[in-house]
Amino acid sequence: MEPWKLQPARDTGLTPSERLRSIRRESGLLERLAHHLSFSILRMYLATAHRLQIIGRHHLPAHGPFILAANHCSHLDAVTLVAAFRPRHRERAFPIAAGDVFFQTKAVSVFSAIGLNALPMWRKNCGPHALADLRRKLEEEKCIYVIFPEGSRSRDGRMASFKHGLGMLVAGTRVPVVPAFIAGTFEALPPHRKIPRPARIKIVIGAPLDFATTPNNREGWSQIAQSVESSVSDLGNQSRPV
Amino acid sequence: MSQVTRERLFGFRHVFDDRVTVVLTLTALILFLLTPVLILIVTRVANSSSDKRKELWDRYRSWIWLALFILVPILAGAFWTIVAVAALSFLCYREYARITGLFRERTISLIVVIGILLITFSALDNWYRLFVALFPLTVALIATGGLIADQPKGYIQRVGLGVLGFALFGSALGHLGYMANDWNYRPILLLIIFAVELNDIFAYICGHLFGHRKFIPNTSPNKTVGGALGAIVMTTPLVALGAHFVWFNTVLDTPVCLLGLGIIVSIVGQFGDLMLSSIKRDLGLKDTAKLIPGHGGILDRFDSLILVAPAVFHYVNYFVGFAVGQPEHVFSG
Repeated sequence: MEPWKLQPARDTGLTPSERLRSIRRESGLLERLAHHLSFSILRMYLATAHRLQIIGRHHLPAHGPFILAANHCSHLDAVTLVAAFRPRHRERAFPIAAGDVFFQTKAVSVFSAIGLNALPMWRKNCGPHALADLRRKLEEEKCIYVIFPEGSRSRDGRMASFKHGLGMLVAGTRVPVVPAFIAGTFEALPPHRKIPRPARIKIVIGAPLDFATTPNNREGWSQIAQSVESSVSDLGNQSRPV
Repeated sequence: MSQVTRERLFGFRHVFDDRVTVVLTLTALILFLLTPVLILIVTRVANSSSDKRKELWDRYRSWIWLALFILVPILAGAFWTIVAVAALSFLCYREYARITGLFRERTISLIVVIGILLITFSALDNWYRLFVALFPLTVALIATGGLIADQPKGYIQRVGLGVLGFALFGSALGHLGYMANDWNYRPILLLIIFAVELNDIFAYICGHLFGHRKFIPNTSPNKTVGGALGAIVMTTPLVALGAHFVWFNTVLDTPVCLLGLGIIVSIVGQFGDLMLSSIKRDLGLKDTAKLIPGHGGILDRFDSLILVAPAVFHYVNYFVGFAVGQPEHVFSG
């Protein structure tokens, strides 16, 4: 007989509020049910209010780990991208969200963690330590991260340059990065608005990029950031009507 | 639903008809009023550090919530009592599943959850045959559910953990809820819960006073023979006295049977505590969760009750029976 391998939940020993804000968080039955429910509701909302259109979904790998990296100009972005996943992907999909916005108060943390299954990224002290933890989780738990490498929402709808934190997550690993371009969320809910307008939203998903041979150092990271950025902006150019 | 059943499930007009209920509820209230004074005096006299003081107050505040969670449903009616026991079962199972990693086996966890729901239904319905049938049937379902993944590697572990989880938190703890089918369930449940919690406290105090020889140092280094024996000596007469009033003039109301009940509560309560210590030590954990300030997890607080529930249920059932004369199949007809 094989010896038993008992592996407690990685978040054991955290208080409930610490747990919501921790990247060690692992969902149980009830929370999974809550994720599914909230994504189904969001999906219905996006389909009816924003006529959500998804192009290139076949590019998504069948299973995690992988990273979906996209441009960022609205709070609707993360919701839109996760809602675009098939149910088998949603299980392990974690939007990486700004800690100072999505995990600031208890009530908002509950929504982000239980409703969106988001993981916090604290922008002020986002050192290599936090990224190393995310990198380990990505591979060990076969996660799917939804990441906006610009670091914050664009204030004018134009894409900013990608930061190299994305590179620190995948350099030298077999984890593919899938580029995606989101159009329409800026029109629907730009940073200065509080309530969304019913504008059309479109997602274009590109072919996965592999960085297994890219060195895990500063040079490699910026190489990755540049390469993903150009793929995303190419998708953006393709998606514009000629 | 008959008038009798409705009164038992939801009625609270006769809450304080029984003397034992009154005495135990008053005792709880007095303890809660006295404890802050005691804490103030003790911390002043002993000149305790602020950490120690904070811990005592944390524990006190948590106890108020726990007491409300226990007292309010029992006083409110059998329906709420059974629902509260179901909530306790779920919370305990959740903590167990998370510390053992069983929560990752979704099929098995789902079957255990369904099993707990059915146990709760059988208790609400006063359907004893279903209540009894659910243990082997759920075990069969867990053993079958373990096959679905088509991965023989780890089969014994996931099925074994699932069966243990259901046995302890669904079936064993479910007996506590089933007791609410007795017409006189309030004093019975209050007496058991009071006795079990006091038993823990007695063991702790006696351990400090006369504890020299370690009891089972590998499982729980702080437990001593003195503490264990002291708890038995102190809890047994208290339970016997309470039970004498609860089961007045029944077959159970003889000194031997009453003392037997007291000894069972005390010994089995301590075994429940040691059982959880073993589980935690096996996993290398100190607490099962960090939910209740000053206590740890729900499981850390209610561990002693888990094994006591079926032991007391079947002891009493053997002599006088539970739910005698109460209408069966309340909801299923």
